[in-house]
Amino acid sequence: MHNVIRNFKKNKELLFMVLPVTVWLILFSYLPMFGIVIAFKDYKIHKNGFLYSLIYSKWVGLKNFEYLFKTDAWLITRNTILYNIVFIVTGLIFSVTFAILLCEVANRRLAKFYQTTMFLPHFLSWVVVGYFFYGFLSIDKGFFNQILKIMGKEPVLWYSDPSPWPFILIFMNLWKGTGYGSVVYMAAIMGIDKTYYEAAMLDGASKWQQIKHITLPMLKPVMIILTVLALGRIFNSDFGLFYQVPRDSGALYDVTNVIDTFVFRGLRTFSNIGMTAAAGFYQSIMGFLLVLISNYIINKIDSENALF
Amino acid sequence: MKSKVILSIVMVGLLALSIGLAGFGEARAAAKLEPYEIIMYVIGTPQKDLDLVSAELSKYLKEKINTTIKLRQFDWGDEYNQKMQNIIDSGQPFDICFVASWAANFLRNAHNGAFLPLENLIEKYGQEMKAVIHPLFLEGIRMKGHIYAIPNNKELGKQSVWRFNKKYVDKYNIDITKIKTLEDLEPYLKLIKKNESGVIPISADRTFNPYLPFDIIGESRTPYGVYLDTKDYKVINKFEAPETKETLKKMRQFYKAGYIRADVATTIKGDDEKTGKWFVGKCDTQPLADIMWSQTLGYPVVSTPIHEPIVYNESITGSMFAVSVTSQNPERAVMFLNLLNTDPKVRNMIDHGIEGRHYKLVGDGVIELLPEHRDYDMPSFALGNLFLIYRYQQDPPDKWEQFKKFNAQSKKAPTLGFVFDPSPVQTEYAAVCNVADEFNAMLYTGAVDPNVYLQKASKKLKAAGGDKVMAEMQRQIDKWRAENSK
Amino acid sequence: MTRSEINRFHNDDLRKRRVGGNRFNSLPLGGEICAHLMVGLFSFLCVFPFAFVIIISFTDEKMLVENGYRLFPEKWSLAAYKYIVSSGEQLLQSYFITIFITIVGTLMGVLMMGMFSYAISRSTFRYKNFFTFMAVFTMLFNGGLVPYYMVCTQLLHLRDTIWALILPLCVNAFYIVVLRTFFKTMVPESVIESAKIDGANELRIFFQIAAPIAKPGIVTIALFLTLGYWNDWFQALLFIENNKLYPVQYMLKKLESSIEFIYMYSGYIDPVKRVEIIASLPTEAVRMAMVVLATGPIIFAYPFFQKYYVRGLTVGAVKE
Repeated sequence: MHNVIRNFKKNKELLFMVLPVTVWLILFSYLPMFGIVIAFKDYKIHKNGFLYSLIYSKWVGLKNFEYLFKTDAWLITRNTILYNIVFIVTGLIFSVTFAILLCEVANRRLAKFYQTTMFLPHFLSWVVVGYFFYGFLSIDKGFFNQILKIMGKEPVLWYSDPSPWPFILIFMNLWKGTGYGSVVYMAAIMGIDKTYYEAAMLDGASKWQQIKHITLPMLKPVMIILTVLALGRIFNSDFGLFYQVPRDSGALYDVTNVIDTFVFRGLRTFSNIGMTAAAGFYQSIMGFLLVLISNYIINKIDSENALF
Repeated sequence: MKSKVILSIVMVGLLALSIGLAGFGEARAAAKLEPYEIIMYVIGTPQKDLDLVSAELSKYLKEKINTTIKLRQFDWGDEYNQKMQNIIDSGQPFDICFVASWAANFLRNAHNGAFLPLENLIEKYGQEMKAVIHPLFLEGIRMKGHIYAIPNNKELGKQSVWRFNKKYVDKYNIDITKIKTLEDLEPYLKLIKKNESGVIPISADRTFNPYLPFDIIGESRTPYGVYLDTKDYKVINKFEAPETKETLKKMRQFYKAGYIRADVATTIKGDDEKTGKWFVGKCDTQPLADIMWSQTLGYPVVSTPIHEPIVYNESITGSMFAVSVTSQNPERAVMFLNLLNTDPKVRNMIDHGIEGRHYKLVGDGVIELLPEHRDYDMPSFALGNLFLIYRYQQDPPDKWEQFKKFNAQSKKAPTLGFVFDPSPVQTEYAAVCNVADEFNAMLYTGAVDPNVYLQKASKKLKAAGGDKVMAEMQRQIDKWRAENSK
Repeated sequence: MTRSEINRFHNDDLRKRRVGGNRFNSLPLGGEICAHLMVGLFSFLCVFPFAFVIIISFTDEKMLVENGYRLFPEKWSLAAYKYIVSSGEQLLQSYFITIFITIVGTLMGVLMMGMFSYAISRSTFRYKNFFTFMAVFTMLFNGGLVPYYMVCTQLLHLRDTIWALILPLCVNAFYIVVLRTFFKTMVPESVIESAKIDGANELRIFFQIAAPIAKPGIVTIALFLTLGYWNDWFQALLFIENNKLYPVQYMLKKLESSIEFIYMYSGYIDPVKRVEIIASLPTEAVRMAMVVLATGPIIFAYPFFQKYYVRGLTVGAVKE
């Protein structure tokens, strides 16, 4: 006990600094977390409000989770995970590459212009992107099919042919996320001690060697952390990307249905708060396990960069 | 033993006391009502003068039932659904809200106990409205014997029509009254396609579905239901019915002939209505719709019915008001709803706003809108008894008579009054809905070959647990038939 | 490290940057061209849709309906903007709300998360793992919408207040972890230790040493927060009923969602009213004009932050 107090005293300044966020986390994140039990209940509304509803609803065990493991479950789980893995890998490559290129481009004015423009997609909602993209892919008026027509080729029924969609979705994801993703890496590159480069230059290292032996290793901690965090959300997906962009076209479900869209479609009208909660809990717990496992592995190999 | 006796005496005493008190309370309530404020949520784009009208309405209600009212309005779509759902789920107190099969999750929330069963309150405080609301509304709306919402009295049935752009009807001298089926339509589509370049023969979007003689059970997007003329109430999958196949084959033929837009299965916008470059479309109707449409669109349209008006479960749950379990005074809420359905003053105030500000009376029950109307433009169909609303000058004098006639002609769908409860098969139902979403649009619009895709869809439905869903539907419907001697 | 050493560290820093600013360490010409091609192409792909949105917003509605989207419309029109402006003070009011929550929220968020991240980046902080875990856990688990809504409305009484738009977004575990990484990799332990020996407390070290050194990281988080606040509509969807508190994005979102809803559920809505509603819906040009107005101003925020990226490298770490 005495030790505890002493430790507290010793860390009091830092404890004071974590206080505001801690209070926030408790209020906005931890207090509402009791709601997770909804996932295990047959939720019925009680006239005295939510807490009563929660207490008086029947426990149903894992029944709310069953629909996540029915028939198409394998397909949607596979889609979700595969897309996310590809998104993580391509996102990492693109963000880092663009960050490095942008920092190396000699014309600073142009580099700033590039940076600003790469941010633009982030501002457009998927609904607007969806409209817009339709302008390209629409069967009769679409830009692509007009070109195919001019070239004397058969028009492609973009919204009923699943084969190009994995690529379209990957492209759209990169298009929307690269600008945003590369900012962190750019900031990290800004923070690299320039003496390393000086020394390397004196040794006659080429630009490529500098990138390979200085920039990339220095970016490693950021890359690891961001990847681990991304793994935590590997069972979640960007609803708009998978719903608005393919315009909810039935013919594409095999390649566009992910856990989030499946839950939305299944519960759209006869929505069930217990089943929705179950889906969220399932996504969280899987992500959590992945984060713990990857953190454990990183701890073994390179404990400096572990999350905790 | 002794203590038990004492306990029971005390219990009896308490019981007697509480009964006495209750009796007393009732007597007093009848004598004079306590002041109360009703909180009521309505749907529609929020109007600037809502508070103003709330205040004016409160003045009147104060005299009538010693009540004031606070109207709140949320926009169509996400805003209404999300905000209402949060209010309901978190148990925030309110009195009345607009509900429908397509708004505020009526089925789910009624099922989960968010709304009060109203039949007793209607007996006590709503006799007048019971007398004016079409009995089919109140019959069809019962869930497990309870009435969870008061339907807004309006046109009962659903009737689909072929709506034509009059320009082309006149130009080619088409007798539209002879057109009912897709086959009837075919020669004219061909004609238009050939002679009118740039005009789309069938104006349709992804929600298009040709008329099929089924009464769908539960969610309209699922393919399970009974034949409209069923005698044995056998639940079938309409994707497997020969009628469906025939109709969809025709649609496929139309699609291939270019009578319908190539990307119809993914379009969601009604540009055609704006350009007027279309020949025919399918939509639901109501009395005088042709006149109203022509006015709104700015060019004349005419329509011809595809089938007689039919009262489906879905058509009577299209617009209702529910009373929340969190209401502090449900009696008063029902009293208000009673007025909303019987008192023209209340009904017109909530609909048209304040006389002299938003509209002026120009005759007996005839009004003219004033410019201020733009600050208070409400969706009439979602605000109580339609038949009490003052007519606009341009409306024919027998406007509401025509509605009544329409209602009298309407035919009951076989499962009217039966509400499917999917909770025993929720897992399968969610999967089935996903499959339905996958196939509906492309099948109904002819975008894919029905010979191949109907089978595909049925197979996938089976894999999703469709048979279990159908069996559960059959079980519930048989039980319902036995209880209601259908 | 003594104070003079810190100063030297800082001076070294300045020297380094001068070197870095020189042109002799740059990409070879071929590489430079290649970089421009790659980045330029991507940047074009990003700018193009946005430019298109702007063009559509200035296109005559009739042309849009008849010809679809065109890069060079036959007829230009200001009607969409006139329509929005004529709808009154709502837009101005919403801009004010958006700007207010963006500025206040960003400042609050940066301050709170900066202190927290700094603390958990300190290797001597005994509870660093506990607090890191505490933050990361919230990234993965949440109790769902309803309990969250309950806490915000019934415990904190945020409903229909401007705080409902600010507080829920000012902390984010992801930003905390990113910021922690910046503190960890950029601020040398020795600098902090020597400042402690000089008697500086942690708060002072944070404000005067750590934060200035880790400026690129802090600016990044500030940027993310700014974008987050500017783009948010969800908090308003949950908590705001009073239209005086609508942020700009919420107006846009409401428009988008009600349009989508009306088409999707058109079969259920009164057939006559349906046509009326659709006829009264803002045209496509208006929708795009809304997009332009809702996102336009924030585009200028990025160059503003970029300025700080550079300045972060020229202003010293320790001001004494």
